[in-house]
Amino acid sequence: MLAPYLLGLVALVLVPAAVTLALAFADYDLLRPPVWIGLGNFAELVGDNIFRTALVNSLTFAAFAVPARIAIAFGLALLLHRRAALVGTARTVAALPAAVPEVAYGLLWLWLFNPIYGPINQLLALGGENGLTVFGRTPPQWLTDPIDARAGIVLMSLFTIGETFIILLAVRHALPAEVYDLAAIEDATSWDVFRRITVPLMAPALGLLVLRDTIASLQLSFVPALVVTEGGPPPYATTYLSLFVYRTGFEYLRYGYAAAATVVMLGLTLLAVVAQWRMIRRAQRLYGL
Amino acid sequence: MIEGSREVPLTGLRLEGVRAARGGSDVLHGIDLTVARSELLVVLGPSGAGKSTLLRVVAGLEPATAGRVEIAGRDVTGLRPGRRNVSMVFQSYALFPHLTVGENIAFGPLVRDGGRRRARGRAERAAALVGCAHLLDRRPDQLSGGERQRVALARALVREPDVFLLDEPLSNLDVELRTETRAELRALHDRVGATMVHVTHDQVEALVLGDRIAVLREGRLEQVGTPDEVWRAPVTVFVARFVGSPPMNLLPGDGPLRPPDVAPDNGRLVGFRPEAVSLGPGVDDGQVPATVDRVDVVGEDAHVYLRVGALPVVARVPASGRPATGATVGLTVRWSDVHTFDVATGRRVASP
Repeated sequence: MLAPYLLGLVALVLVPAAVTLALAFADYDLLRPPVWIGLGNFAELVGDNIFRTALVNSLTFAAFAVPARIAIAFGLALLLHRRAALVGTARTVAALPAAVPEVAYGLLWLWLFNPIYGPINQLLALGGENGLTVFGRTPPQWLTDPIDARAGIVLMSLFTIGETFIILLAVRHALPAEVYDLAAIEDATSWDVFRRITVPLMAPALGLLVLRDTIASLQLSFVPALVVTEGGPPPYATTYLSLFVYRTGFEYLRYGYAAAATVVMLGLTLLAVVAQWRMIRRAQRLYGL
Repeated sequence: MIEGSREVPLTGLRLEGVRAARGGSDVLHGIDLTVARSELLVVLGPSGAGKSTLLRVVAGLEPATAGRVEIAGRDVTGLRPGRRNVSMVFQSYALFPHLTVGENIAFGPLVRDGGRRRARGRAERAAALVGCAHLLDRRPDQLSGGERQRVALARALVREPDVFLLDEPLSNLDVELRTETRAELRALHDRVGATMVHVTHDQVEALVLGDRIAVLREGRLEQVGTPDEVWRAPVTVFVARFVGSPPMNLLPGDGPLRPPDVAPDNGRLVGFRPEAVSLGPGVDDGQVPATVDRVDVVGEDAHVYLRVGALPVVARVPASGRPATGATVGLTVRWSDVHTFDVATGRRVASP
């Protein structure tokens, strides 16, 4: 029963992972046989400014995108968990962007971000003069300004929350209705209900989703950075770890160096996961869940 | 309430023509019901009768589509649940799993008045009232079913509400605990003198617990009366069959079993409880022959399922004097306790 799955797991995940780990300690360009260089790749990474920029970019992206994505999905789930007119449509709309193929989604945003005919900046320029906003400011230069470009990549990630939204919707549905009835009888305000009941009861699910989203955030930025901003604008404003690995490996053919960067990336992910897992466990003990 | 003109309302709860619907179909069809202050009224009915809906309408958790709800002389029909000053104990107890017992009990005072310490003090007093003061720092998942039930009660008590609403609070307890808790609930009611509406499908619970019983069937009140009235003078065939276990025998008025001084009448039903039937080993004069189909022994009692001709009759006799299955016995009915109902309306007919 599980044999085909196991075969796939070994051939497509375990073996490449082992090869990657081995390559991290080698110099390899696909043409000549790999040469063992020990920790040479890692030593080079430490002094590599582009790698450091990519690392900071990735961490910054996660720090902004993950909390915002979870907050939006949580808010939408609470808003749309009751049956009412148009709620079904709204749920579909909330879930849909996650179903668009990533490259198509990227190309769509390339158009949305366009400084001249892109709808976002046309909207921002409404009521202003000479292409400036109402407040007389220059609209964001999504594709040419380093800060704006990073914000743009975060903005892109805020709409692909369909999965998280659906999970939170299901979790909210599973909470016992009588607990909310009781709160109504006790005349609890909606703020009290939110912070004293809904958040603590959904906290385990929220914690796991934050964990999952943090892991996913390393890949989340890859296609947008590749398709929309191409790692730029200078200096490497949207070169994230995943893009750094991709370029190092497939464009500069430095597979050993790329593998070393991948190992660092995985190590960081692992660190984040362990830290968050401990936080979740502590919260669970606090609430006795 | 305005100080000075302390007019004490005599009614704890009054429903006038209350209707409610769920999912497009009517669940309550015009309920008129008055509960006196400090009275313990038990709403009794089979599942699906609308008992819980009735409580939820009183609490304001579900809207009344018509009619009026009055609590302690105050029209609350349009008020939200939190403004009705009621407490509710749910069948599932609805304890907050992430809060300790103390925090659970203090939840209401905390969200209404604020003041963590004062809320805690009130919670401690309420917990002491139901004997769960030693549990205050535990969490719901560390409690037994009976302890959870107590905590739910304490949480209802902490408020000093105008009406207590209890939705089958004993149904999740095992039999022994249920009997014990039933007595405690009654004692608690007498001690705090609160108006209580207690919903149950258990007729024994209703008979033991209630000052009065309101029998609900398919969203209509069949009978409202004291346990004695409901037992001795059920006003409909439904009440007669629903209250009592095994249920009352109901036979056609022109059959072989009917009071001696009453003429045969196929428009009537003759009812008598299993306790009013006695069985003799042989068929003597004045006795009716019956065949024993099945005998269920319940401790000291035996429920004997008999057949008189084609008519089924249940007798409750001492287990020591029970007949054997398949035997033919002589059946006597104590006709002084006969109930007569109209076949067409199902309503009680005054004994002639």
